[in-house]
Order: sequence, then C-alpha cells, then structure tokens
Amino acid sequence: MMELIAQNMAPIIFTSLVIFLLLGYPVAFSLAANGLIFFAIGVWLAPYSSGTITLDWPLLYTMPQRLWGVMSNETLLAIPFFTFMGIVLERSGMAEDLLDTVGQLFGPIRGGLAFAVVLVGALLAATTGVVAASVIAMGLISLPIMLRYGYDRKVATGVITASGTLAQIIPPSLVLIVLADQLGKSVGDMYRGALYPALILAGVYMGYVAMIAIFRPHMVPALPLEARTLGGGVTSLLVALAVAVGIGYLSHYWFYEAWGANADVLGATLGIAAIYAFALADRVLKLNLLSRLASQVIMVLIPPLALVFLVLGTIFIGLATPTEGGAMGAVGAMAMAAAKGRFQMPLLNQALVSTLRLSSFVMFVLIGARVFSLTFYGVNGHIWVEHLLTGVPGGQYGFLLVVNIIIFILGFFIDFFEIAFILIPLIAPVADKMGIDLIWLGVIIGMNLQTSFLTPPFGFALFYLRSVAAKVPYLDRITGKNIAEIKTSEIYKGAIPFIGLQVLMICAVVAFPQLVMHYKGPMVDPSTVEIKVPMLNTLNPGGAPSLGAPSLGVPQLGAPVINP
Amino acid sequence: MHAALGLSRLIDGVTTVIGKSVIWLIFAAILISAINAVTRKLWSLSSNSWLEAQWYLFGAAFMLGAAYTLKENEHIRIDIFYGSRSRRVQHWIDLFGHVVFLLPFVTLMAWMLWPYWIDAFRSGQVSTNAGGLLIWPARAILFAGFALLVLQAVSEIIKKIAIMRDLIPDSNPFISPAEQAAQGVQDITDGAEVRK
Repeated sequence: MMELIAQNMAPIIFTSLVIFLLLGYPVAFSLAANGLIFFAIGVWLAPYSSGTITLDWPLLYTMPQRLWGVMSNETLLAIPFFTFMGIVLERSGMAEDLLDTVGQLFGPIRGGLAFAVVLVGALLAATTGVVAASVIAMGLISLPIMLRYGYDRKVATGVITASGTLAQIIPPSLVLIVLADQLGKSVGDMYRGALYPALILAGVYMGYVAMIAIFRPHMVPALPLEARTLGGGVTSLLVALAVAVGIGYLSHYWFYEAWGANADVLGATLGIAAIYAFALADRVLKLNLLSRLASQVIMVLIPPLALVFLVLGTIFIGLATPTEGGAMGAVGAMAMAAAKGRFQMPLLNQALVSTLRLSSFVMFVLIGARVFSLTFYGVNGHIWVEHLLTGVPGGQYGFLLVVNIIIFILGFFIDFFEIAFILIPLIAPVADKMGIDLIWLGVIIGMNLQTSFLTPPFGFALFYLRSVAAKVPYLDRITGKNIAEIKTSEIYKGAIPFIGLQVLMICAVVAFPQLVMHYKGPMVDPSTVEIKVPMLNTLNPGGAPSLGAPSLGVPQLGAPVINP
Repeated sequence: MHAALGLSRLIDGVTTVIGKSVIWLIFAAILISAINAVTRKLWSLSSNSWLEAQWYLFGAAFMLGAAYTLKENEHIRIDIFYGSRSRRVQHWIDLFGHVVFLLPFVTLMAWMLWPYWIDAFRSGQVSTNAGGLLIWPARAILFAGFALLVLQAVSEIIKKIAIMRDLIPDSNPFISPAEQAAQGVQDITDGAEVRK
C-alpha cells in the first residue's frame, strides 16, 4: 500500500493541488502549502518509492536560493513598468480622445464605428495593454453612439469586447512577458513572434465587420452627416498624409547613407514628426490650412503612435531591452498625461498602488509555483506529465490540440497568471523535446489565453462592458429616442462570433508557423547553414524538425532555411 | 480578545504604512531604468549597479508590499467554488487557509531566510557582476517581506475570528470578478473627476 502511494505521488499531488486551489484560498499560498505538505510526506515515503521520490530535507534548504532567483529575475521587471504605463494612459483620457476622433473619421461609412473600435482597440493594445481600459472607454463612448444610430446590439457589444482583448496578444502585453519568462525565451523574440498573428487577428475582425457591412448593412449603418461635429475635410487629411509619406520616403534615402537598415524607421519618424509639427503650428498660429478634422486626427493620433514607436520600435530594432522599453514607455505616458494637464499627484499615487498590488500578487503566485515545483519535480512529476503528453496520438499536432483544449477550458475558470506559472513549466520541456519551437508555442498559448477574456460567463472583458453598458432603458439625449438596456445575454452572444474568429486564428498560427517563425530573422550564421544544409536534403524527407524550426509539412517561408 | 485586536490593529497599521511607502520604490525603479537606457545608448554610460538597483527596488516593493496586499485581500483566488458559498463558509475557508496554508509557509520561509541574509551580511558578499551591489540588503528585504507576512497572517487570523464572532465589522469582504470590474470602472471614472 505504501509502495503504491509512494510510486504514484505525482498524480496524488496534482489532484490535491486542484482541490486546494478550488477551495478558493489565495492561489500563491495554496500552491506553496501544497508543495510543503507534500514535501514532508514525500521525504517520509521516499524509502518506499523504489527511487521515484528524490526528496530529502537538505533539498528544502535550496528554497532561499529559489526565492532569490524569483526576486532577481530581470525579465519580470517589465511587469510593473508596463502595468504602470498602462494605468497612467488609461487615466489620461487618451482612449476617449482616440475613440471620438477616429469615430468621426470613419463614422460616415457603413460599419465605420465598428472599424474605429477595432483600430483604436489595436492602438490602445499596443500602448496601454490593459483590457479594462479599452473596454471601459469603448463601452462609455462608442456603445451609446452605436446604439443611437441603430447598430445591431450583438455586433456592437461583440466588437467592443473583442477589440478590448486584443491588449492580451498585441505587444507589449503582460501575457507575452510572463510566457516568455516561463518558456525561458527572450521577451523581444516573443513580441516579434506575436506581432503578425496579433495584427492579422485585428485585420480579421475588420474583415468580419466589412462582411457584415456588405451583406447585412442594416446591422452596421453609417452615421448621418449631422453626427459629424468635426465637419468634413478628409481631403486636407489625405494631403497631409501624402506629404508625410513623401518626406519620410525622401529622407529615407538620405538616412540610408549613414544608418543603413534602420533608415526606413528613421524616415518614417521624420515624416510623422514633420506633419505633427505642421499641425501644431497650424493650430497655434491659426493658419487654418488644415481642416478641423485633419488637424484633430493628426493631433490625437500621433502622440500614441510615437509612444508605440518609443516602446515597441526601440525593442524591435534592438535599441532597448523590453524592460527598458517599458520604463521609457512609462515616462512617455507620464509626459503625455502631463501634456494634457492630467498628471497629478492622486493619479500617480493611484497608479503606483495598483501597480504594486498587481506586481505583488503576480510575483507571489510565482513564488508559490516555485515552492510547488521543488516538490513536484522531486517526485518525478515532470516525467509523469511527459508520459501523459507524449502518449497523446498525433505527434506535434496531437500535443498542441490537447494542450490547447486544456488551456481553453482552464481559461474559463482561472487567470492566465496561474496557467502560465503552473502549467507552462510542465508543458514547455515536453514541447521542446518534441521539436516544437517554444516561441511558436508561446504565441499559440497567448492567443488561446486571450480567448479566456471573452468566454462567458467569466470573461473579464464581458464583465467590464457589463458594468459600463446601460442596465436600464434610457432616453438618448441627441435623438430623444428611447433606447433599451443592454442585456447580459446580448453581451454574451455578441462575443461568440469573435471567439470563433480567435479559434480560427489559433488554427491559422498552428497551420502556418512562419507567421511566428520570422522572429528568427533571415540572417543566419553561414557556418551553421553550411553544416545543416546537407542534412536537410538527406535526412529530412518527411518534414522532420530542421534547424529547430517545426516544419509541419508546410513551406517554411519565414524559417531560416537558406539555400547556399 | 481585546488585546489581540489591539495587536492586529498595530500590525495592520505597520503593514499599511510600509505598503503605501514602497510604491515609490517602483517609481524610482522606472526612472532609473529609463535614465539608464538613455545614457547607455547616448554616452555608453551604464553600470551593473544601476541594473541591479532596478530589481533591488522592485524586489523591495513587491516583497514589502505583499503583507499590505494580503491585508487588502488582493491576492488572487480561484473563486468558482468560493464565490458561490455563503459568507460564513468563506470565513471558514479563509481561517483554514490562514492557519494551515499561509502561516506555516511564511514562518518556515522567514526562518530559513534569516541565516541566509545574516551569512551574506557577515561575509560582506558582493554580486558577482562587475560593479555589482552588496548582496545582503536584498536578502534582508527578502527576509523582511516574509517576516511582515508572518505578522500579517497573525493579524488576519485574529481579525477573522473576531469577525466570525461578530466583534468587528467585515472590512474586506470577497467581491466577485463582476463586482471587481464595476469597482475598476469606479476607479477610472474617479480618476476622470480628479483630472478636472
């Protein structure tokens, strides 16, 4: 009997962990206690285990060193930096300005407000990275306008919640930082890998809205012209845009001499800066060369774009580490809030307190997970998990399918931090052994976790929209029409098509790994290529892993397979 | 019970003051990181001590803020079962968790971390990175964080018993994620008023 228990410690510990966690006591401490209790039991049972339990008391004294490891983790420094940046931006009114202006720009076309919501959602995702911020702003500003002009309620709520969750997958999202850390990969690579799938997902949302606009136009009507308080003036915006592109393009040649590959980025920066300076001068000197619409669009859109460049641009061209990017973004966010006269002591205090609370609970979940893993690995739990997962038929596809279904279901009930800290360390080594690229796996999991923000009844994006959408019928103040309340069921149903699109996108990333694999870049050290290329021709007939890139029988456009 | 509640108030007071002060360490870490990034690129001015200072500061913030976070009931739970129980059952779960999960864990860690920082202090150990910082202050913070958690756990147990015996009001009740969302909206709209 003792032997039976001792040799099955891993499943016993895992089951009791599930029970401990479900009890509802804070995750960090339940995890740690589970680890410690079973550490003691494990030491006691070790003699009966015929070698499967490798726990002894001296091992427990490695705990301080493990805690030290958590504390000195420089990757996770990015968490407070990006959190702080997001909260400052969320309270700075940037989202409101963007929604107002972009809504005005696109409003007069069919589905325009929905397009504006997706666009602004993507832009907010790339700056604030906070789901709450986007959904709340859209629920307060765009939703009433959509309802006023007769948008279908499910389309309106669905597009808002889905666009809000983009913050989870578009860099610099916290999910990607934590995933990169747990997978042992660089955050920069994770950002690079996630960029295209995330942008494509935003594009897919726009495509979906476009389809509705074409085939069900009554669901997404255009705004009447009198709703355009900024007036027309698209022409002058287009002219301004053309000038900016021209300046950028010409200066690109000039920069190319000195800066080489980074010239296009610098050129774009100069073009944008020039047009912003012009709009600013136009407004201050009252020249009125630009229409009000054009001037407003430029003034509102460029600061967040500059911030995106400051953070993501510097990370992507290798000027800054993700942590530094986060810190500069935080300073940039403070500057933006200050420029709007909204950076005051209460805001700073509030933002720092929220950042501290989030950091503290996240880091303690990690500490708890480290205590748990000491015991779990000590009873060979990782080998048990590996047997379970490699036993799945279908090789890489089977593995990915099972892992994704598990994470999708868990995502209904538990937060992504727990999934990342508890499950990812168990899954990652198995995936690595199967030849699955870990960044690719991380992006797939990130996409999947994003879905959990949207799935009823526990999706956070849905909660946020619920708490800002009208709960009782109200009289619209512009049209004087009576508008019915938003039912919770409408929010749930609205999310469903977008969950479908997200699942499709997960499948697309699985089917086309090159969407992610380009992070390795086209530059491959020639020496390694020369060694590997003969292997590609002779030993790689059926799509076995080559150069560490998972080839699943599809052409590896972005993967570093280079013909000499 | 009266004396115990007094002790609990004292502990809460200490952890709150510390929790509300350490937020500035995060602010300092942000500024140091940003400045360091700029000087590193522009003038190649940087040193490991500045890099290490960032995680020292952040480490101090989240370790010393953990007790405050516990007091504010902000450590994350999986509430699928918990959230649907009566408040009475929730109290029992909390009390059980405080006594069986939390207190033994944090006590053991504090006990193990004491020699860990003392050793570093006595030997004057310095980080192996060139120009690195002294190691003991960070280890002392690690110990202090867990020591504060031990105190806070004691305070939470006292308060929980008092609440269950109706001696004090239930100050930080569990709120569901939906209510949390509403709370978040409140915070942001409050922020909107602040900035006017």
